[in-house]
Amino acid sequence: MAKWGMVIDLDKCTGCQACTTACTMENNRLPGENWQDVLFYTEGTYPNVSMKWFPRPCMHCEHPSCVSVCPTKATYKDPNGGFVLVDWNKCIGCKYCQVACPYGVRFYMDERAVIQPDIRTVFPSNNDRLWDPPYKGPQDDPSRGIGIQPHGVVSKCTFCYHKVSKAPAGAVDLDEDIRELKEHVPACVRVCPPKARFFGDLDHPDSYVNKLIADKRGVRLKDETGNKPQVYYLSGGAAAAVPALRSMTDSDKS
Amino acid sequence: MTKTTTKEIGTLILALIGVGIVGYLVMQTLGGQGHAAFNTTNLGVHWGLPIVVYDYFLLTSTGLAMIAALAILFGSETFRPIVKRAAWLALAGLAGGVVVLMLELGHPLRALVAIPTSFAFESPLYWKAMTIGVYVLALLILIARMLKADWDAKALRGHAILILVLAMFITAAAGVVYGSNSFRPFWASGDIPVAFIFESLLGGLAFIYFFTYLAYAFDAEAMPEGVKRLFNGALPGLFALAIFVHLLFVLARMVNGLYGNVEGLQVWQHMVTSPLFLAEIFIGLLLPLILMLLAGTRTRPWAQALAALLVMNALLISRYEYIIGGQLVPMFKGTWAPDLLSYMPSTTEWLLLLLAILVSNAINAFGELTLRLGRER
Ligand code: SF4
Ligand code: SF4
Ligand code: SF4
Repeated sequence: MAKWGMVIDLDKCTGCQACTTACTMENNRLPGENWQDVLFYTEGTYPNVSMKWFPRPCMHCEHPSCVSVCPTKATYKDPNGGFVLVDWNKCIGCKYCQVACPYGVRFYMDERAVIQPDIRTVFPSNNDRLWDPPYKGPQDDPSRGIGIQPHGVVSKCTFCYHKVSKAPAGAVDLDEDIRELKEHVPACVRVCPPKARFFGDLDHPDSYVNKLIADKRGVRLKDETGNKPQVYYLSGGAAAAVPALRSMTDSDKS
Repeated sequence: MTKTTTKEIGTLILALIGVGIVGYLVMQTLGGQGHAAFNTTNLGVHWGLPIVVYDYFLLTSTGLAMIAALAILFGSETFRPIVKRAAWLALAGLAGGVVVLMLELGHPLRALVAIPTSFAFESPLYWKAMTIGVYVLALLILIARMLKADWDAKALRGHAILILVLAMFITAAAGVVYGSNSFRPFWASGDIPVAFIFESLLGGLAFIYFFTYLAYAFDAEAMPEGVKRLFNGALPGLFALAIFVHLLFVLARMVNGLYGNVEGLQVWQHMVTSPLFLAEIFIGLLLPLILMLLAGTRTRPWAQALAALLVMNALLISRYEYIIGGQLVPMFKGTWAPDLLSYMPSTTEWLLLLLAILVSNAINAFGELTLRLGRER
């Protein structure tokens, strides 16, 4: 069975946020709940300032700390494909997984709206879901954290499980340029204008993602945590780089 | 009806009225706004004041239970007057904390089924929650076994060992919940479970002092001879020692934090100058330590009650700074998130603290009224 992974080439990424928008549309996310986000960093002090950016989905870690801390096994790692998913029928909203994720990619959306007006009150829901948007994706699978988020649970990027898991058996690289596979490519990968994102089987020796990781010395974010992300970053020395710090601001500023 | 009974009924009624009013207010806001009534956000402070309150009451409870168990095991007749009160207070404190936790969780009722049926052996929270269930049962049975005025400490030794082990396990598990997050250097440390155990013991001692005085309406003359002997004998020294040990743990973490360069520890730079932290160290810990060390004050009822009250507050601040401090540096949120998050509990969150205090006091007053805590001889 495949172990799906993503490769993001920071030399190509322009920070356009197309991935963020695509993910939000595909998965009906609330404003501010960016399962995928491009983080912007400023470094240095005027006049020697540089701006950097860093696209960041869930890492679908090989050893996910969010899974081991969950007291209900609501967060689990699917052995078929390696997706880390949340079963919304089991989640109790204790938020331990949020605290225990080193990459800050999990969301509890019952809190005050980040962006006004609160879209939840504009499109109120009449069931246990947080809102009822006029457009809803056809996919709804609460046992995998797919669909409109219910009250009192945590959500996160699913690696577009609803698309990827339906890829034809034996598919190795889910590339939007391969006509018969493009419906199975994660939304954020499919829309990336400079083609900075790649998706494929990390367990397949000949996969393109493995070739990229080998050729451009792919690295994983905060590898010292032992979480072993299934998302790799490539940075060959041009402007963008994997940030060394999670806040990446002038830490002497205190 | 004796004078004491009238006072106890009065306390109980007052606490129940308080629970009613505050409970109503909390239900109104939570019912209307849900958890939007809290100031926690996805930027980083996921666990806010309600979790601080829950852990504070839980750790006080385990501290009281440890003291009750140790008193049965090693205390001989001297410690007898505080055993039943400590055990009942342990339950009362826990109840206050659990009420708040239930209002903080996204799905509290689901939790009651989902945790026990998950067998999530890898999760410290699973172990913590499951052990709390057994612990409550063990405490209830212990109290039932002490209902007769002439209960025999020797016969309860096995039971006391069980409670001691359970209480220490829960406290240590609570420490692991935080201490094992290696990527949060403000929290991560192997000694956190041990620090939590000492902190619990200190909380237990402070609560015993304060609530015993409260039971006699702060009239030291009214207290039985046995209690007086204990309060003026071994207890002030133990109390001082517990304050000292806790202070050492806090100061050691502080020095480490100030010298350390790892990202996340910069929270200490901000914390050491905050009035809350200074109040915790100087007024909440050093002052009581001095009061309990000086021969002139250590046996004075006012000094003991004051020291207990100050320590109770210092421990709440300590818990707050630890839990919130570990979440103040946002994880990969970019420059658009501030370097250091600012978090102030909302009114609803403060009301939850009040609710926990009132619930615990109501249950404690009920025990004072019906169980004749510490007055069997
Ligand atoms: S990045 Fe965080 S949420 Fe995603 S699998 Fe890893 S630990 Fe879990
Ligand atoms: S919030 Fe839900 S998914 Fe996260 S640890 Fe708690 S129960 Fe598990
Ligand atoms: S893989 Fe899918 S869910 Fe994950 S960030 Fe990309 S679009 Fe969003």
